Amino acid sequence: MSALRRLVQRLRSLFRSDALDRDFDEEVRSHIEFAIDDFMQQGLSEADATRLARARFGLVEASRDAHRQSRSLMWVETIAFDSRQAWRSLWSAKAFSLTVIATMTVAVALNTSVFVVMDAVLFRGFPLVKDHDRVLFLQEQGPQGACCLSYLDFEDWQSQAQSFEALAFVRSKSFSIRDGAGRPFDVSGTQLSTNAFRVLGVAPALGRDFMGDDMRPGATPVVILSHRFWQSRFQGRADVVGSTLHVDGQAATVIGVMPERFEFPLRIIGNFWMPVPDTPDIRARGLANSGFVAVARLRDGVTREQARAELETINQRLAIDHPDTNRSVVPRLASHSDWNSGTDAPLIWGSLWVASCLVLLIACANLANLMLVRTLGRWRELATKLALGAGPMRVMRQLAIESLVLALIAAGAAWWLVIWGVGTWDVVTFSMYQVLDYSIDARAFVYLIGAASIATLLMAAPPMFRVMQAGEGDAMKGDARGVTGRLRGKRLGNVLVAVQIGLAIVLLAGAGVLVRSFEHIVRADAGVKGADNVLVGLMRMPSANYMNQGDRRQYVDRLKAALAAAPGVEHVAVASTAPTRFAATRFVEFEGRPRQPDDERIGFVKTSADYLSVIGARAVDGRTFSDADLAGTLPVAMVNQAFADRYWPGQSAVGKRIRSDSPLTPEWRVVVGVTSNIMHNDPLRQNFRPVVYVPMVQEPLGLTVYWFARTTMPADRMATTMRPLAEGVDPNVDLEIFSSLADSFAFDRDFMDVEHSELGKHARVAPLFAGIALILSALGLISIIGYSVDQRNKEIGIRMAIGATAIEIQRLILREGMRPVLAGLVGGMAAAVALNRLLRSQLVAVSPNDPVVLISAAATILVVAIIASLLPIRRAVSVDPVIALRAD
Amino acid sequence: MTPKLDLLQGTLDLMVLQTLDTMGAMHGYGIARRIEQVSDHQVLLNQGTIYASLVRLQQRGWIDAEWGVSDNNRKAKYYAITRAGKRQMKSDRLEWQRLAGVMGKVLSAVPGGEER
Repeated sequence: MSALRRLVQRLRSLFRSDALDRDFDEEVRSHIEFAIDDFMQQGLSEADATRLARARFGLVEASRDAHRQSRSLMWVETIAFDSRQAWRSLWSAKAFSLTVIATMTVAVALNTSVFVVMDAVLFRGFPLVKDHDRVLFLQEQGPQGACCLSYLDFEDWQSQAQSFEALAFVRSKSFSIRDGAGRPFDVSGTQLSTNAFRVLGVAPALGRDFMGDDMRPGATPVVILSHRFWQSRFQGRADVVGSTLHVDGQAATVIGVMPERFEFPLRIIGNFWMPVPDTPDIRARGLANSGFVAVARLRDGVTREQARAELETINQRLAIDHPDTNRSVVPRLASHSDWNSGTDAPLIWGSLWVASCLVLLIACANLANLMLVRTLGRWRELATKLALGAGPMRVMRQLAIESLVLALIAAGAAWWLVIWGVGTWDVVTFSMYQVLDYSIDARAFVYLIGAASIATLLMAAPPMFRVMQAGEGDAMKGDARGVTGRLRGKRLGNVLVAVQIGLAIVLLAGAGVLVRSFEHIVRADAGVKGADNVLVGLMRMPSANYMNQGDRRQYVDRLKAALAAAPGVEHVAVASTAPTRFAATRFVEFEGRPRQPDDERIGFVKTSADYLSVIGARAVDGRTFSDADLAGTLPVAMVNQAFADRYWPGQSAVGKRIRSDSPLTPEWRVVVGVTSNIMHNDPLRQNFRPVVYVPMVQEPLGLTVYWFARTTMPADRMATTMRPLAEGVDPNVDLEIFSSLADSFAFDRDFMDVEHSELGKHARVAPLFAGIALILSALGLISIIGYSVDQRNKEIGIRMAIGATAIEIQRLILREGMRPVLAGLVGGMAAAVALNRLLRSQLVAVSPNDPVVLISAAATILVVAIIASLLPIRRAVSVDPVIALRAD
Repeated sequence: MTPKLDLLQGTLDLMVLQTLDTMGAMHGYGIARRIEQVSDHQVLLNQGTIYASLVRLQQRGWIDAEWGVSDNNRKAKYYAITRAGKRQMKSDRLEWQRLAGVMGKVLSAVPGGEER
């Protein structure tokens, strides 16, 4: 400890000139005393000798100034000199220098990139919105997750709630517009109250904001464009304000353009915004036909919890006044960042950031190890310097400057890597449901410098500490091969290896449980067979051309025929949704049983007759739909097994009658069959929910329809040949997806629930971190064992000369090398068990302490460690004993 | 007493190096005294100027310093030339000798320069 204190003192004195001044003063005093002695020996009196000595010395102040000036000037020169020397020294050890630079670059760049992304997701994401932490998104939640917000409830909030400065409301909507060639297509747009932009504190970049009158019934339709839409549709023309956009067949006047990167309500890239027309049809209670979101700005000093309590009180009053529609309807509040990034974002990005810090720490341990091994390796050179009186300070400064040179190069490379990495991340993860600002700013730069500085300190400290100890007296006791020197250096190295191994286990175990969760979702049983041989596609018919049912059906029939005629296609089916995706829900009424208040909503899927056989599912009871089920024939339905088990346990479902609450199809339907379970409406794909199937011909057809083609060869290969066929039927219809059904099950954050929306990113990034950690740990082991082997060349030579076999020696060194590995393994497992618990909320069907994960993490580390150890050990036993003994 | 020589930049440094090379480790007072003696008291207006030179040499790595105790038990900072310092001294010495030779030739090439 005292050595450390001295080190700190010396380092400090480097920068404190008063300490150097004191040193100088003391030197002057001794000088004058010498001079007085001399003069007194020549026979002068003490007083005369003193006067003369002072005179000969000259002005102490002037001398001190000159001393100081030299010091400060020299400081710069010395640094230049030392840097040149450091450069030469590093250049002559290229492998070492490159390893250090690469390690530090990767670790610092990784850490900084994660910081930039985390910063964008959690803290910075919305540069245009004023004080975005005061903005809340408000909705309502009814029984069984019904949402979102009815207009009349909103009006009550607006008039009664005191917590907010202002409330606005907004809903996304699909609009039909025409492109430049007059081709109709549907785009997503947003309807909102005219004050919405003012609540957010964002003004149009061009033109004017909406005004209260724009909402009045009969007002001229007006529209404000997004920057993106303005660029693509109007080529960014400056005179766009005042031009006309035909929306849903109505001429709307463009009154403004919002600033670049402004997306609102932010989950969806909107193309333009229009006021909600204040017509009677939006004035309804109840969540059935709501779909609004309120945007509110908290009053100063009001907390989110106070606002929640107030809204809850209002909703309790509403439940009493309107029991039919508002019973157990509660407000839901989401912060701006929760709304945009998912509620799991803080945990995910927090833990990824911690993970990247662990990687940085591992890298630092590695760097320290490399530096230490290099220092010990050239101990003879350093010891000679120390013995010649170079002083530990000077040697330490040399080490520090070498570290600094390496760190500067690494920091530069890391900065470049961050810019590239974040840019790539932005492109790869781009989602139209989440627009984030990943621009790299001064914060990122400061952060990177900080991370690099910490890494440099941790890297340079152990070897400097070692030199410091040597400076305390044992420098001349010999080089590093002196017993104490070797042991001290190696003990530190072993501790670093153990720490690395422990951290790597933590990362591997964390990544392991996340990946397993993710696999549980992606690989979940969707209830279909042979999904590789099914091509799936989604068609979106433009509403302008397909207003009536006849046109839609005709198009679907023609598309089916065109696809079925393609070579290699066996059957084509269509349905209103696809396996694993969301099926629209309705309430179901059972014959002879009145609807009960806590009935849950059930997914409904409209299918063509051969749907089940095409996707590889089947009827487990009764029959499937047939071509004989037509619009005019007996209304029929199928239910899945989960439905039958839930509502008719122990009975046959066939013959039972049900109907839905949809006003368009009020008739009773006879259940004719029970299907095997197919996955719908569980975002995590863990449970089969009850589902009702109805013949597509007996229900109104929507604008979006999925089609499925059973193919004779892998469906992936047919996608390119099939697309032109489909497009030929009507080029105005948007065709999406075109992949095998199996591929369409791949993870898609947009189908996840809000608590797990980032899990996919997590599961993809975490293994990368664990992999880097593993490689770094292996490098650390190779360097420390390699050093140990080098030191023991002579010993190995002797052992081999007296008859030890290569195997015995390998075992000897391996046993020694494995000691820190095992220590790290045990510590790491304990830490992993403790830390994985934090990830619990993200885990799907996996325990945080999943034994498979923990055991495979430990086994992986062990195998990597053994391989990493064997590399230098093999070199050791290949040494010719004679050469080993002769070498110094 | 003739006026003392105004020292050119680097001259004193070379003198210090030369002194330490021939005399071994010395303290500042010793170095100053030695230079005075060797130069017949023609350089060193003030002994204090030696210290700026010492710190400069030290920072270049040409000399090293260490506190020690003198023969008469007085605490003093001792300076010693390093290997780099010796190298530097040799090259500086050659430089000076060449310069001195050239100066000698140039000055003596002006005939009767003093009469003008």
